Amino acid sequence: MNRLKRRAGRAIAYLALIILGIVGLAPFVYLAILSSKRRIDILTQVPPRLTFDWTTISNTYREVLFSQGMFDFTKNSVIVVGAATLLALIIGTPAAYVFSFMRFRNSENFASTILSMRFMPPIAVAIPLFLMMKAIGLQDTYFGLILPYVSFSLPLVVWIMIGFFDEVPREIYDAALVDGCTHPVLLWRVMLPIVRPGLVTAALFAAIFIWNEFLVALYVIDSRDLQTISLGAATLVSAQRPIDWNIAAAVGVVTVIPILIFSLLVQRYIVRGLTAGAVK
Amino acid sequence: MRRRVDAARLGRGGAAMWLLLGPCLLYLAAFAIYPLIYSLRLSFTDLTAADGTGRWVGLKNYGDLLFDPQFWNAAMNSATMVVVAVTIQVVLGVALAMFFSLQLTGESIVRGILVLPMLITPIVVGVMWRALLNPDWGIVNWAIARLGFEPPNWLGSIGMAMKTLILVDVWQWTPFVFIIVFARLQSLPEDIFEAAQLDGAGRIAVFRQITLPLLMPAIVFAAVFRAVDAFRSFDLIYGLSYGGPARSTTTLSFFSFQNGFQFQNYGYAAAVAYMMLLILVVGTTFLLRFVPLRPGHAR
Repeated sequence: MNRLKRRAGRAIAYLALIILGIVGLAPFVYLAILSSKRRIDILTQVPPRLTFDWTTISNTYREVLFSQGMFDFTKNSVIVVGAATLLALIIGTPAAYVFSFMRFRNSENFASTILSMRFMPPIAVAIPLFLMMKAIGLQDTYFGLILPYVSFSLPLVVWIMIGFFDEVPREIYDAALVDGCTHPVLLWRVMLPIVRPGLVTAALFAAIFIWNEFLVALYVIDSRDLQTISLGAATLVSAQRPIDWNIAAAVGVVTVIPILIFSLLVQRYIVRGLTAGAVK
Repeated sequence: MRRRVDAARLGRGGAAMWLLLGPCLLYLAAFAIYPLIYSLRLSFTDLTAADGTGRWVGLKNYGDLLFDPQFWNAAMNSATMVVVAVTIQVVLGVALAMFFSLQLTGESIVRGILVLPMLITPIVVGVMWRALLNPDWGIVNWAIARLGFEPPNWLGSIGMAMKTLILVDVWQWTPFVFIIVFARLQSLPEDIFEAAQLDGAGRIAVFRQITLPLLMPAIVFAAVFRAVDAFRSFDLIYGLSYGGPARSTTTLSFFSFQNGFQFQNYGYAAAVAYMMLLILVVGTTFLLRFVPLRPGHAR
């Protein structure tokens, strides 16, 4: 009797697990299915049938990528994400090294001020950043986005990297200094190879944040051919106007597929990044 | 951060230390601190996009805010969203963490799936849910009707839109609480629970008196992060409901955006943003008294 009860409990648990998986995944699948339908089929086939027509699919995606500009938006985003992530890592990693290994007057206050910037609402700095970029002539350029994005991702990078530097045994640091290593050499030659997973994690989270950012882009970018992917997607599928749902769904799929692929490749780092800063 | 202060090494960094630290500090001073000061100054002017001069008007914007029913409407909406969404996420997140500690086969795959919503462009999350909840052909309403219920007007009615926004936020962010609490749960030593069970404590007693108190730091940490993020939330609202219908999902973020971007009233928008900052600083200072911020990560 007891065994039967245990088995029933086990079955219910597995059922719950499957339902959880479906709740997490189904919205993505639904979007992908909608993107494969003709506009009229979305309105008439409820629920959508699982029959796929390649000409429809290729027509929709060709329109989204080329006529609607999603291909160019992707290219713009890759440039901006790449440059801003790299800059944030170059500036943020040495700072995290200092915060982890060295002490100076008020160093804890400096560190927590930087970390608290992660709480800043983008809406509070979007207008001043836009006016600053305009004043230095960077409005409507890649650099007008890259400069603000570096400052948005720096606190994240510093935060994540401090966690990884903290795990490096202090003895390695001490031994290198005793051997006469200078700090830049020690950081570059000794530390970076050790904290490589940290660099991947920090880069991943900075990149996803920038890929998704939309508010600053809305202010800074005017020309259509410089729009980044989330700004481009937002203008194509805005909640204010009626839209063709097959096109909207395909725009959504094109926007999230790179994130999905990217996060599958570096899956083991995601949890570490998400829990960065959590109490040990 | 290392708590240990190594007095002998204090000044050792010297010039090299500032070389490594300087760029980061200077960069943030220029592109984070300065914009914040700029924004504060803007909030004391009547700068609009049309008239680029912007006269100093002192505290007028803030005075206007206090008598603007739309500001109070937005503040109420923000409060509702933060309190309700975060409460639901904490309860569900802890429940999920307990559930996943059963260690069922395949649980790591489902955990991998549950992480995805957090990484996805909020604009796309909004579109996705507008499709799912579409009143004419959306699959959710079809399923509800099939089960014999009357489907709600998710995004079309004033009474329902905020609930829908919270529902989507819960779908996207409950996994955040879950992941953080789960990481903490995994790091707890097994023998505490075994000892309690040997002493004859029931499952519910173990959970309430041992597990929950041990999980508390992680729960509070996750709740603070979620509260701040829900308060700042903007893109999702832009993509899902655009603040409507009839301003029922216009939060402070969205209200500031409308004043700044749509009406191009930069001074007023900056004043709203500064009220948000004030609430954030007071709120997080209060909340963080219960849990210290510390870089590092859960293991």
